[in-house]
Amino acid sequence: MGLGLLASRAMRPIKSSNFRMCARYIVTKPELQSPESAAAEAPAQPDLPPRTPVGGARIHFPNPEDAIEVFVDGYPVKIPKGFTVLQACEVAGVDIPRFCYHSRLSIAGNCRMCLVEVEKSPKPVASCAMPALPGMKIKTDTPVAKKAREGVMEFLLMNHPLDCPICDQGGECDLQDQSMAFGSDRGRFTEMKRSVVDKNLGPLVKTVMTRCIQCTRCVRFATEVAGVQDLGMLGRGSGEEIGTYVEKLMTSELSGNVIDICPVGALTSKPFAFKARNWELKGTESIDVTDAVGSNIRIDSRGPEVLRITPRLNEDINEEWISDKTRFCYDGLKRQRLNDPMIRGADGRFKAMSWRDALAVVAEVAHQVKPEEIVGIAGKLSDAESMMALKDFLNKMGSNNVWCEGNGMQTSADLRSGYIMNTSISGLEKADLFLLVGTQPRVEATMVNARIRKTVRATNAKVGYIGPETDFNYDHQHLGTGPNTLVEIAEGRHAFSSAISNAKNPVIIVGAGLFERDDKDAIFSAVETIAKNGNVIRPDWNGLNVLLLNAAQAAALDLGLVPESSNCLESAKFVYLMGADDVNLDKVPNDAFVVYQGHHGDSGVYRANVILPAAAFSEKEGTYENTEGCSQQTLPAVPTVGDARDDWKIIRALSEVAGMRLPYDTVGAIRSRIRMVAPNLLHMDEREPATFGPSLKPKCTQKMSSTPFSSAIENFYMTDAITRASKIMAQCSAMLLKK
Amino acid sequence: MAFAARAVKVPPNSASLEEARCRVFDFFRTACRSIPSIIDIYNLDEVVTKSQLRSTIASEIRKNAHITNPKVIDMLLFKGTEELNNILEHAKQRHHMIGQYVVGREGLVHDRDPKDEGISSFLKNFYNSNYF
Ligand code: SF4
Ligand code: FES
Repeated sequence: MGLGLLASRAMRPIKSSNFRMCARYIVTKPELQSPESAAAEAPAQPDLPPRTPVGGARIHFPNPEDAIEVFVDGYPVKIPKGFTVLQACEVAGVDIPRFCYHSRLSIAGNCRMCLVEVEKSPKPVASCAMPALPGMKIKTDTPVAKKAREGVMEFLLMNHPLDCPICDQGGECDLQDQSMAFGSDRGRFTEMKRSVVDKNLGPLVKTVMTRCIQCTRCVRFATEVAGVQDLGMLGRGSGEEIGTYVEKLMTSELSGNVIDICPVGALTSKPFAFKARNWELKGTESIDVTDAVGSNIRIDSRGPEVLRITPRLNEDINEEWISDKTRFCYDGLKRQRLNDPMIRGADGRFKAMSWRDALAVVAEVAHQVKPEEIVGIAGKLSDAESMMALKDFLNKMGSNNVWCEGNGMQTSADLRSGYIMNTSISGLEKADLFLLVGTQPRVEATMVNARIRKTVRATNAKVGYIGPETDFNYDHQHLGTGPNTLVEIAEGRHAFSSAISNAKNPVIIVGAGLFERDDKDAIFSAVETIAKNGNVIRPDWNGLNVLLLNAAQAAALDLGLVPESSNCLESAKFVYLMGADDVNLDKVPNDAFVVYQGHHGDSGVYRANVILPAAAFSEKEGTYENTEGCSQQTLPAVPTVGDARDDWKIIRALSEVAGMRLPYDTVGAIRSRIRMVAPNLLHMDEREPATFGPSLKPKCTQKMSSTPFSSAIENFYMTDAITRASKIMAQCSAMLLKK
Repeated sequence: MAFAARAVKVPPNSASLEEARCRVFDFFRTACRSIPSIIDIYNLDEVVTKSQLRSTIASEIRKNAHITNPKVIDMLLFKGTEELNNILEHAKQRHHMIGQYVVGREGLVHDRDPKDEGISSFLKNFYNSNYF
């Protein structure tokens, strides 16, 4: 909430009426007690300059005849029926102070900060809970409204500790901001302030419960969005407390968001506690790479250090939430980093060397092996630019064995609809039935899961799930564990198949974990049969989705990173790992030369002969495509560590040392190369839907095995090199994962 | 107030080039005489020898060999004296001395390679830093 706006609005009456200047006491006057007389006295408002809605709010009229007109401070606005007074004021460009109201949560109406005056109502009304009625005359700026807010503020501050100098919320605290606008400069409260015992909510959220103003946003968030019933309100009156009912940790993958929605410093980030003040931080708008959703984040850094990660609003992807892994993985960026080029000596130890020598060694070895024996694997965190460079370099060397880990060996990159989320993440909200095949969205793509949960809550959509036993935070039907169930549904022998055909907008989500299965084509053709029978793909609705696991997968397939032969790793002599840590390196022959280019000393390093240090996602500009096919960009927030270089630059330099110079010297040039291969990767922040449906696929003759599906992610908190290096994530997995 | 005692007195301008020349030699000699105490103050004996420092001073002076205007020479002399005073007053730290008069002479260490001939400017920049 704009402090400036609030402050200037609070100042205005002071300027206009002198008596407020001298009398700073909280006084009551006859006109304050009867709104009617105040209204009668107020002269007719002169024409106001047109105002713009708060935060660029846009209104959408479901049907135009439902529009009603209300007057906010004498200024007419048209709003759809069902809007609250607060929303009407926002449309009119007036920011109403609030604590408990949050646009994505249910309305509680318990803080009373949003009081406004409505003509003909005897008392000020809580605008967040009051529906706007046609012709309502709302006054947000009258002495009554101001007096009411001052009163509420005084009560809130009565029991709020004077903690600001030691509070982590200081500087971005709603209570602090609004008390600057509406607070009295002295207190009239002389008793003891109450105090509340702090609760232990786990390794992520720090609580100072004395600061809580009982707005219940956190409780509503936990029950409505996160879907865990852990938090609640205990006691009445001044004994009211927020807490877990029994001594218990908050086990939700979205728990970090309560830090953002808590308007005061009661819930703050434990890892960030006392690390920095928010005005010292530099914010960089970036993209999360720990899963394939590509949540929009802001990386807050000070100097060379990433100090915290907070969400950025993007209605189409993550709304305004992010998962705990996204939010707290950043301490992994400071640990286990590779900072110098290194080579493994005869004694098996790594020795640092200069870039010049390291590249010379790699280039020489690459020339000594046959082209078919060269293999390149891109890691799950790679950006599109570096994957393009890797593929071009290997092709120039004569090899076409390059792929991205997690994509399996026989994944087809020909039909884009076969590997992206065709419904789009926000499109899931229209669905009325979900069939999840071999995917556990709660751990694989938390934000997609939050979307499904939102839909299930709003429309009572049915959810069917095929896969191993797992946790869901919404009602679901466990249909089976393996391909057999899938076949039953495809052949119409299962009760769920009729549910699919009866559904209006059915959605099928297939997990990308199945890419690694040998019978993947058979499974996908069974899914396509279900889609065909259930009318899942129509001109106006495409409900067949693949939910990818890693940030690099979609871009890798768009760029055509598919291996030529599926057992090339067994015969490889030269393996180039570009941040690939989760490939099975046991298959690599012992005499193979392994180059590891990456930012963390993770599992890939154990087998490597040469290490080339690269930049992590917080340090480079890179394009990532998320699971729904939307390209987004990371921006460098902090400088690279030690002697590390950007990924694509390393490959470009290596190509020159090897005498196979790649024709691009700048990011711009490499992007124009990408434009030739996959132009959709350059349409930033735009979702590019797939052009052709699966109907073009050749018939599949593969046999389906009956092995049940396995879960793709064992440990939600540790899935890649960065999160595995993070201490916070290690604590989370130790304390929060159910054994 | 020890500083003030040793502080530089500004002499009158040199009347001719010849006089300026003599003053330069005087300054060179003063500087060379203070080398042992400089080495002492900044613990430079393990990184540099007296004769190296002497030639450093000489080359600093020779850098301006082309100047013939006595006023400019006077000004440069003044600057030199001031620098010398700062050094003797321990107004600098050891790394300043090493950076300016010991290592910095050859430019900071670069790993140069004869093979670098003929490589693209991209590669040259790449070897230097990530940011170009
Ligand atoms: S802890 Fe924060 S969000 Fe929760 S009720 Fe208290 S003030 Fe509101
Ligand atoms: S915001 Fe309306 S009562 Fe709290």
